[in-house]
Amino acid sequence: MMYKLPKGPFTKAQFTEAMSHAIAIELTTIPCYLSTYYSINRAQNQDALYKKIFAQVKNKALAEELTMDVLLYSNKAAGTIMSVVIEEMLHLALSSNVHQASIAAPDILSIGRALTYPATLFADKKEFAINRAPFSIEALIDFLEIESPNQFQTDPTIGQFYKQLIQYVQEKKIDWRLTSKGFPQLVPSQPYYSQNSINTVYYDAKHNPQFPSANDSGGLIEVTGKETAIAAMNEIIEQGEGPKGGDQLKFKDGRPVPLPVVNGKVKFSKHDFDDPGKKELSHFSKFMELYSLALYYEAKFKSHPAADNFFSYFVRNQAVNPVTNDYVKSKELYQQSQLGNAIYTYILLMIETCYHQELPTQFEVFMMGIHKSMIWLLSEFGWDMSAQQFTKGGTTSQGSLTFEYYPFEAKAGTRPKAQMIQLAKNLIATDSTYGWLISDPQYLMSLPDVGLDHQVAKIPLQTSKK
Amino acid sequence: MPQTTKAANAKIAANATIPQALPALELHACMGLNACKGHGWSGKNDCAGTGDCATNRHPCHTLNNCKGQGGCGLFGTTQEFCTPGQNECAFQGSCGTPILASRYITQGPNKGTSVWQLARKLFEERMVKAKRTVGPPPAGQEYGPTTEFAARLGASQSCGQSGERYCSYAFGKAENEKDKKARRAAFEKASAKLLPKTMKNCDCGE
Repeated sequence: MMYKLPKGPFTKAQFTEAMSHAIAIELTTIPCYLSTYYSINRAQNQDALYKKIFAQVKNKALAEELTMDVLLYSNKAAGTIMSVVIEEMLHLALSSNVHQASIAAPDILSIGRALTYPATLFADKKEFAINRAPFSIEALIDFLEIESPNQFQTDPTIGQFYKQLIQYVQEKKIDWRLTSKGFPQLVPSQPYYSQNSINTVYYDAKHNPQFPSANDSGGLIEVTGKETAIAAMNEIIEQGEGPKGGDQLKFKDGRPVPLPVVNGKVKFSKHDFDDPGKKELSHFSKFMELYSLALYYEAKFKSHPAADNFFSYFVRNQAVNPVTNDYVKSKELYQQSQLGNAIYTYILLMIETCYHQELPTQFEVFMMGIHKSMIWLLSEFGWDMSAQQFTKGGTTSQGSLTFEYYPFEAKAGTRPKAQMIQLAKNLIATDSTYGWLISDPQYLMSLPDVGLDHQVAKIPLQTSKK
Repeated sequence: MPQTTKAANAKIAANATIPQALPALELHACMGLNACKGHGWSGKNDCAGTGDCATNRHPCHTLNNCKGQGGCGLFGTTQEFCTPGQNECAFQGSCGTPILASRYITQGPNKGTSVWQLARKLFEERMVKAKRTVGPPPAGQEYGPTTEFAARLGASQSCGQSGERYCSYAFGKAENEKDKKARRAAFEKASAKLLPKTMKNCDCGE
């Protein structure tokens, strides 16, 4: 991202630009983490996996042990990453709330339009790259760098950047624009935010559910002035980097130093948690746990020469930063990617619209539009596209979502939802199994019809006929 | 491809060894949540609360057609997870139906406890207000429909990407089945013990 952080305290114009960049940072992480999430086969068939590993190591007890290692780690990694995705969506809302209250409604579509991968946190391209990549140790190192609590190169950490924003809010006079005065935010009095879902859950060896996010780790904050704006930004810092005194990102031989793993568990300090009850790890510590365990299991599997590479048992063969044009030789994959991008962009439009619409329209756009699109539509393509393959530069990979901005404005006379329906029809003409996109009224067809002017044409409360 | 509502329901009805009585006289979210005689899946129940399955099935969050047809527990918010089978409007249910006995709440102070047991308790309270006599759910299903029972009615587990909830990592078919059943029984009993607290957490008295 071509944002150059100014030195010294912000002017008003610099604060405006920096708040927009804060939203951009939050948005940048979401496709990055989601791409990695979709690359994980998190709940595979236990018997088939055991059979494969037993055929390799020819030892029942060892095959059972290695099978469990793969099953438990892959599900934990996916659940943990999804828990961070959900909190990044919260951070997108919190930074947008601050923007709405202190400057103007956030321009999330413009931020999405400018976003390409590989991305950077700030302007310095010498810093680490943020990729849309399959799960790997390298991807986890990227995640640790994004969420690092300590500065390790020239650019500041996300927390240090937010501290500069907090300093401006503390020192300068701001005419606060309140929800009650017609400047809507995503507020905690509405049931918009939920830390956990069945997709953040993973299981222990006894198959007991584990919940990576705690009830007291923070939620939406309505920004009404200096104190609430600071609270919102501090929540972002603490959930991401953790409170002061936690583990730091240290490099040795070019790689982050992992935490010790004892009896299959990572040893944390009490400062690595971001909630008062010490039950939820910060994003940095969640990723440090996955990273430390990944190194541990990689070495363990390597110590059994007959076994494959640990990651090969559960990570799909997806490319780094693919774009839709890479799929041009596979008509179906290309069409899936186009529709996936349109759904992603429509989600951004719906989030932006929540800052222009009051209740109950805001509620319906959020609960029916964003929830349906995330859980049912984007997810669907996140999984489906890996069934298709493409070749680029002599390398064959499985398809994946590309999270590119879809230019609805290019067909100004056609509403975005109508454009998505047309893309769905094009896909159905290639693959009729997608007929449900049009024939079942509960999915694409029942999304709110949101215009680029943030006007909602109607909320289609139609129900299926028996 | 997701389990689409209409097509999936047609397939379920075709596969069920216990067929659905049509037309459904009441649309509700699960076994034991029907308000009248003959209002269960098979239509053979004697009174309120004795029905054998949901008469309106859908796979997940935001996919319910109307008030009272949402399941609960897997996607949604803490507030939504306190109203299984009693959502206010279309699309406001927080999970699919029917609600199998192994389904647990994933968010808020009640996380890890049974969805069906909360749904049943809320239903019983609604029936008390309506001055209706409530009977027990089918024999052997005191804590909600088991996976095995639901299969006879063509129903299965609904949404989620983290894997089966009625499950065990034990190796060997017999060991695995035994462990699954034991785990479910322990979960049902623990949830029953916690039910007063669950209700209190939802601000439902007790």
